[in-house]
Amino acid sequence: MPLFNRTPLAWKNLTNDWRRLAVAVAGIGFAVILMFTQVGFQNALFDSQVKIIDDLQGDIFLVSRAKYTLAAEKRFPLELVDQAASCPGVSGAYPLYTELTLSRLKNLSPGSSGKAYPIRSLGFHVSDPIFNTPGITSQLSKLMLPHAALIDVRSKRENFDFPFDDERALSAVSAELADQRISLVGTFQLGTDFAHDGNLAMSAENFAAYFPQRVRVGDPLSVVDVGIVHVNKDANLNEVRDLLDSIIDDSVFVLTRQQFRNQEISFWDESTPIGIIFTAGKIIGFIVGMVICYQVIYSDIADHMPEFATLKAMGYNTMYFLRLIVVESVLLSFVGYVPGWMASAGLYSVLADATGLQLHMTLGAMLLVLILTIGMCIASGMLAVRKLLAADPANLF
Amino acid sequence: MSSPQMLNSLPATSGAYTNGMQIPKTVKVGHLNHYFGEGELRKQALYHNNLEVRRGEIVIMTGPSGSGKTTLLTLVGTLRTVQEGSLKVLGHELNGATNDAIVRLRQELGFIFQAHNLFESLTAYQNVNMAAELQGMNRKLADERITYLLTRLGLGHRIHYKPKSLSGGQKQRVAIARGLVHQPKLVLADEPTAALDEQSGREVVTLFQELARNEGCTIIMVTHDNRVLDVADRIVNMVDGRIRSDVAVHETSVICEFLRRYPLFADLQTSTLTEVADKMMVEEAQPEDLVIRQGDPGELFYLIRSGRVDVVVEENGEKRKVAELGEGQYFGEAALLRDEPRNATIVARTKCLFYTLGKVDFKQVLDRSKSFDAEVRAVLASRT
Repeated sequence: MPLFNRTPLAWKNLTNDWRRLAVAVAGIGFAVILMFTQVGFQNALFDSQVKIIDDLQGDIFLVSRAKYTLAAEKRFPLELVDQAASCPGVSGAYPLYTELTLSRLKNLSPGSSGKAYPIRSLGFHVSDPIFNTPGITSQLSKLMLPHAALIDVRSKRENFDFPFDDERALSAVSAELADQRISLVGTFQLGTDFAHDGNLAMSAENFAAYFPQRVRVGDPLSVVDVGIVHVNKDANLNEVRDLLDSIIDDSVFVLTRQQFRNQEISFWDESTPIGIIFTAGKIIGFIVGMVICYQVIYSDIADHMPEFATLKAMGYNTMYFLRLIVVESVLLSFVGYVPGWMASAGLYSVLADATGLQLHMTLGAMLLVLILTIGMCIASGMLAVRKLLAADPANLF
Repeated sequence: MSSPQMLNSLPATSGAYTNGMQIPKTVKVGHLNHYFGEGELRKQALYHNNLEVRRGEIVIMTGPSGSGKTTLLTLVGTLRTVQEGSLKVLGHELNGATNDAIVRLRQELGFIFQAHNLFESLTAYQNVNMAAELQGMNRKLADERITYLLTRLGLGHRIHYKPKSLSGGQKQRVAIARGLVHQPKLVLADEPTAALDEQSGREVVTLFQELARNEGCTIIMVTHDNRVLDVADRIVNMVDGRIRSDVAVHETSVICEFLRRYPLFADLQTSTLTEVADKMMVEEAQPEDLVIRQGDPGELFYLIRSGRVDVVVEENGEKRKVAELGEGQYFGEAALLRDEPRNATIVARTKCLFYTLGKVDFKQVLDRSKSFDAEVRAVLASRT
């Protein structure tokens, strides 16, 4: 039987009654929005976990094998960074120090609570190419002063109520980090995540001064949190990585940027309830969509039982009806998806402005939701088609 | 010499022998029983139905509601499963037929339901096209036929209208076009003209007749619409799940015409004549067959439907041919009237077909004829 040039019954039935179509589009669009918000928030939260990785320069990263997430304070000896720097194909290797446990920032200005709140401190040698964000690299000279630090403007406001907009007022604020005076000489942008409510950036020297207890004995800068390796432009990244992996002590992971990112995201996705919660959210959206879609297709079938029975009497077979409902389901999913997608895109930009979350309409998210939508409509169509197959032409006479 | 043959007590009005032995039947129903419900609630809906429908015939089924005519129609239309007995449609036995065979067979049938059952979302043209498409009809031919049928049914100006802008009668006519577009070999229609005014109802049945004549399309129609009874080649009357009468209209009128030539029957009303015709049976004789022997007791009245016979009288041991009778003539009445033995011998000259009426029935008819006559006289006499 020719597929084309046939009466497009599925489409005609779907579009015949615009009120019903509007209800269908609204319902399925709603399910699409539900799924998009779940996918969007999940991606946004995972993106914010790895935002610091995105803001770092470098091609290969060294982290302690025990450091299952960036927030876990597991470190490795500085010598390994130096060892990496001497490896063929490597143009440089630099340490990045982070501290959360000891790093507590207290606002001492009048009217503040005077309580100390944990904030992540990032320490690095000012001369090293660590960050790629101009917000930090343009203010490196300010960091060379003792007690100087930059504060993340996207730090949690309730805990860190500083005048971020006014640099002069900010530097005049009296504050303490780990019970020592600190002067906030400027701001940069990084963002918060599940583990960190704010960020400070400072020179390695200042870092060492604030957190001497990082190590029991010796130089606080002798243990590194992340090693950042730059690879020669003409060298093959993967070869260098493999080489480093074979040379460097097994207590350290040698990761490319992508591996580093994936490792961090998979921790939050798989080892915390976050992944499950968002998966549950997506399933709920899917089920809501299925119920709505089922209702739409079922009532379409129920309202046309005599007509479908007539088609059966004419000699249309089961395959025709199955195909009809699949086509109708796919059409429904498309007409529901497009407005749902548009509404979600609008919602993303509104929410991104309001929350500071990284809500992006990525191709992956669009494809995922589209496939879920089509699957949801076909599944409900297949549930509803049983009604159609039960149509009995004997009742027509 | 042998005697003429009784043909399975076949009624004369069945028309089974009108044109000699018939070619394969479109529909052949044999000892068909049907039941609804199960177990304790099982109720028989059809009892031993027998029916033959020839190619190109228009059959009208009548009977009160609940008489089983719709059940029989759905069985013939493959819409119900045959439970007991035999049902052949277009040469396919439906008892035990596979699902695939039934779906294929359905494509050769045309259905016209009491409700129009049109898709609201499709135009008249598209609705009709749904039937044409299934057959994979040539686009151009299908287009021509759809346009022809819709125009023919008075919808030429509404071909691309959706059902909601059509009146009830117009919708019904679209449904009729849909049932006919794919040149079905058998059309099953349920009250096709009920929703139509007289003129369009007439147009529909005229179209049926044309299809029956020109395309050999067989039409079985359930209707209570007396206005269209005249197109029927055969009228089947059902009561309580049984086929009470199955009458070939043309053949019956031929019989009535012949009967009327008999002086004693000449005054009878058509309804009475039809009843007489209904009681007649078919008998067949080969050349040289002895139909009646002189001196035998008379039991039957004979009407010659076809063929010729010789009347031979035996007097003083000498046989003398006194007459030759042909189509439309009758014999055997004298012995019945006077309760005497046969007064002549009848021998078939050619192959013959007779319609016979039993003695009891014959006398009953005569009594009615007399009483009718007497009644008329009484009425006339009472006029002053």
